[in-house]
Amino acid sequence: MNDIDPRDDRRGQEDTAVLTELNRLVHELDPPPADLVERIQFAVALESLDVEVARWERAGSFAGVRGGQPGTITFTVDNLTLMVNFTSTGARHRIDGWLVPAGEHTVEVRVAEHESSTTTADDGGRFVLSDVPAGTTQIVVHLVDSRGERGRTVVTPTIML
Amino acid sequence: MGELRTTGERPPWEGLAGADRHAACVIAARAGDRRALDVLVADLTPLVWHVARGNGLDRSTAEDVVQTVWLALLRHLDRLNEPRALVGWLVVATRREAQRTWTPARREAALSDELAEQLESEYGLPEDAALVDDRDHRLWRAFGKLSQRCQELLRLTVLAGRAEYRAVAEALSIPRGSIGPTRGRCLNTLRTHLEAEGGSR
Repeated sequence: MNDIDPRDDRRGQEDTAVLTELNRLVHELDPPPADLVERIQFAVALESLDVEVARWERAGSFAGVRGGQPGTITFTVDNLTLMVNFTSTGARHRIDGWLVPAGEHTVEVRVAEHESSTTTADDGGRFVLSDVPAGTTQIVVHLVDSRGERGRTVVTPTIML
Repeated sequence: MGELRTTGERPPWEGLAGADRHAACVIAARAGDRRALDVLVADLTPLVWHVARGNGLDRSTAEDVVQTVWLALLRHLDRLNEPRALVGWLVVATRREAQRTWTPARREAALSDELAEQLESEYGLPEDAALVDDRDHRLWRAFGKLSQRCQELLRLTVLAGRAEYRAVAEALSIPRGSIGPTRGRCLNTLRTHLEAEGGSR
């Protein structure tokens, strides 16, 4: 049985021709962004592969779950919410973040082609990194439990700053 | 250190193609070879991208979804029962991730396959201004009028090639034997749209 190739008649040959054209058009008109592969290769180059992904909650997809102000991005995974606000200071950024549920979690900001910056959230879940270089940025949160012991690691997709 | 150790060695996926290549990369990545992961990302990101786009995501949401899927794969690498089936896993994960971003109305509409096949896509394709050829313009517009399901199926079947075709069909939950007929119906509708655009030649 072969239902992969179109039949070998006139209609089948037309189908083959149309599929060939479509193949060309899809590649020509709707290719992935040129830097996407590179950004993903950066995003997956992590110390540990045992990570959970926090999703970027965009306006519209989950009504009501938003940072509310411009420059604020909300990421969520399971019961964890990470809100980050970026303030540009020229070529660099100030990052204000808030983790819910709160805890003295370790927050690492990775920027492609730069050193990572690391800080620890306060007991209210807030953290600040005042001088982060601009570029392809990913946030990695090493969570601690209520006894201060290290638990799971959460990562975000990269964002362009 | 890991890099020093692996540089110069012949990678186990070299010279392999399709599912064999993916399986070799998955096994190497499990063992800690980071180059293997980079190879998979480079080889299969276009496929993941087209699944996301074929599920009606705009380009910027598609970018997030593609990244999310690759990151989700990391901890799943060890749990893939069949490393050769990586493409199927990626297609299923991408569709699920894309559908999370849908509005409730669209989710409901997609529940029925028959309806899904007829429902015109409400999401625009990129502008075709770059096309010089009139036939290309008409074909692209006709393609844009197809249902989400048809657009996805056609994208995947032209993109994946023969080697991955079966994996793709399984991931799309199209029963064995009805991929051809389903695609045939999509192509018939495409032909109708094309004629409405001013002739099929």
